[in-house]
Amino acid sequence: MPHRQKLLGLWMLLTGSSIFLGLLSGLWLESQLQPEGFARLLLWFFCLSAGLLLILIGLPLEVQLFRPLRHLQVQLARLAGNPDAQNDFPPEGWLTVLQPDLERLRQGWRNDRALLGEAKIQGAKDAARIRQELEALLQVLKVPLLLCDRHQRLLLFNPAAEQLFAKNPALGLGRRLEELLPAPSLSDALHQLPKDGSPRQLLLPHEDRWFLCDLRQVLASQGEALVTLEDATERQQTDQRWRKPLGSLLPALRGHAANLATAGEVLSSGNTGPELNNRLQTAMHQDSQALSGLISELAQLLENLHLEQGQLSDTWSNDLWQALLPSLDQQLQLTPIGIPVWLRADSPSLLALLQRLLTQLQEATGQTSFESEIQLGNNRVYLDLIWKGEPLSLSLLQEWQEMTLADEDMSPRMGDILRRHSSDWWSLQDADGVYARLRIPLPAAKRVYPPPPAIESRPEFHDFSIADLPAPTDELGQLRLNQLEMVVFDTETTGLELRKGDKVISIGACRLLKGRLLAQEVFDQKVNPNRPIPPASTRIHGLTDADVEKSPPLKVVLPRFREFVGNGILVAHNAAFDLLAINLEAAELDIEFNMPVLDTLLLSRGLDKNLEGHGLDNLAERFELTFPPGTRHTALGDARVTAELLLALLPRLEARGIHTLKDALELQKAQVEAS
Amino acid sequence: MAKVLVVDDEPNIVLSLEFLMQQAGFEVKTAEEGETALELVASFQPDLLLLDISLPGISGFEVLETLREQDEFKRLPIIMLTAHGREVEKEKGLALGADDYITKPFSTRQLVDKVTALIQEKDNNNQGA
Repeated sequence: MPHRQKLLGLWMLLTGSSIFLGLLSGLWLESQLQPEGFARLLLWFFCLSAGLLLILIGLPLEVQLFRPLRHLQVQLARLAGNPDAQNDFPPEGWLTVLQPDLERLRQGWRNDRALLGEAKIQGAKDAARIRQELEALLQVLKVPLLLCDRHQRLLLFNPAAEQLFAKNPALGLGRRLEELLPAPSLSDALHQLPKDGSPRQLLLPHEDRWFLCDLRQVLASQGEALVTLEDATERQQTDQRWRKPLGSLLPALRGHAANLATAGEVLSSGNTGPELNNRLQTAMHQDSQALSGLISELAQLLENLHLEQGQLSDTWSNDLWQALLPSLDQQLQLTPIGIPVWLRADSPSLLALLQRLLTQLQEATGQTSFESEIQLGNNRVYLDLIWKGEPLSLSLLQEWQEMTLADEDMSPRMGDILRRHSSDWWSLQDADGVYARLRIPLPAAKRVYPPPPAIESRPEFHDFSIADLPAPTDELGQLRLNQLEMVVFDTETTGLELRKGDKVISIGACRLLKGRLLAQEVFDQKVNPNRPIPPASTRIHGLTDADVEKSPPLKVVLPRFREFVGNGILVAHNAAFDLLAINLEAAELDIEFNMPVLDTLLLSRGLDKNLEGHGLDNLAERFELTFPPGTRHTALGDARVTAELLLALLPRLEARGIHTLKDALELQKAQVEAS
Repeated sequence: MAKVLVVDDEPNIVLSLEFLMQQAGFEVKTAEEGETALELVASFQPDLLLLDISLPGISGFEVLETLREQDEFKRLPIIMLTAHGREVEKEKGLALGADDYITKPFSTRQLVDKVTALIQEKDNNNQGA
């Protein structure tokens, strides 16, 4: 509908021109006809009738139609946004008849909106529940698992994968799989995965390990691929350990057996003289001796193979006790003693065996208090259960071996579990004559050191929206700022005069992905500058010579940092300084930091030209960002606050029309040129 | 003449061992079951026992355990024989009080040497005592 002013203008123009033309024609006719009385009145009425008619039609049209239409327009606009909008303008004039229909529409829209809202809430709840279940499943899944999109960017990894790549800085959401597992065969296989989801397997060498990768395309997806990994190093090595000796043992066994058979046949023919008899007997003796030796070797090989290929895994004895204690009967007291060690065990079945065994021991000895001890033996460890009293007879122990672990017939017997561990048990009196013990020898593990403390799982281990990001080959500059993968970093140095020999002593970095600061994706490494740190510098960052003494030099740290940066762009506050700090050494190492760099100092200046103070402290205060105590002037602490600062600047940059990386770089450039 | 009791359920090996021990100058008796072995130990009073682990009825380990529980036979030299050769069996035998352990197949010369040495040792101990 045209604007009210336009309509009004048109109406006034038409009315005015009609009256004006009526007046002109009235005056001209009067001068020509010179009418009198009623005829003159008629003449003027006739001449002015068009104007009068327009006035008479226009006024009711405005009141009855145009004004109600305008009100209806406002009311409909309000209703479109919200069915509960205030009803200031009910249909009026000639539109009053629309009132019931309008009310029906409003009611329908209100109901639909309520239904939609409820469905949305329910949908969100369902999605959250599914997500929680998926997360719980992934947390306990022991198979390392990676999910990547069609551009091979990581969308998800589970704690098992995190454990597997614990020392690899290239594990992170949005990072390329090829950075983590740089093997062309993997990349090729991913590109050629069958669309029906059937798996492909690959054996990949990675650093000093072999990974058996199972790859498959996720059905009903946009080309996402699931990669599960198995550390096949041990299997490969085990294979090698038995194939080779077995390969040489068998021909030797055959040879000696053939010698024996031939000599036996010759002897049994009865035609041999005394001299040949003697020689043949000596030969048979030598061959049988050699056979004995070879069979012993074979037996040893088979026993080792059985232990290596069974379901035994390295188990820390304390973990075993920790799992056993809560499952014991309350009246039974078990106290683990001695030094914890590694052993090889099928933990679930061994736990069930110990549980059952302790109940039997309680019955047989009448004791409720036991001690458990694991001692190191020769290639073995001894799991001993100790009590005050007499040892148990072999016949009783033999009887126990035939007992099932649970009451069902199909349940394994205690002897089965012992055999699974290539073990047996026996009971002995201690030398003090007071205590007795039941001993179960178990295979020892090669490990010596206690297990590392469990890694706390990262809060972010999946982000499916990464798949919606444009392909990495797209022009980087055209990407929106909140779509970029950014690595925000900071360095601490021995001083400010980098060109005169001041060196990096610490690099800290964190990762921003799609406008989120990833809490656990950090790089934090002290660097040995191979020169003393001046006390004035120590006063700022708190780092002393002793702190960095055992740290690697920059030439070791820098390649790892480059790996951490990956395909991200760099961000720093006063980036020129930090870039110079790393680039001076990077050039010598042939490492390039040639990605775009955003500088929060320049961006802040570009946004608030009239404000003074663009230092990190000023800006942190302005945007109410806080440094956790003791982290200001640590590389990682400053990097994190710089990241928070960038996140605070992003919406303001957007509001100024700076949407893409290119826009931001241009704003920076303008600042550099202006200064 | 020193006396050796051979306990094994394998007639061929019993035949050979009996012959070998006689050749080495020992008086030999044989048994093929654990129970018989225990009776013979009491009646024959051997100076050494060659004891197989796998026996019908009570096992070699149980014969060993029973003998070691009796003061009279606490010091009787016992050599365990087994065809399994598992490390854990050897440990169990030695833990229960066997003096030595031999896996089949074995060198006859080595066995005779071991038997002779253990009987010699027992004689020395007896003389010492």
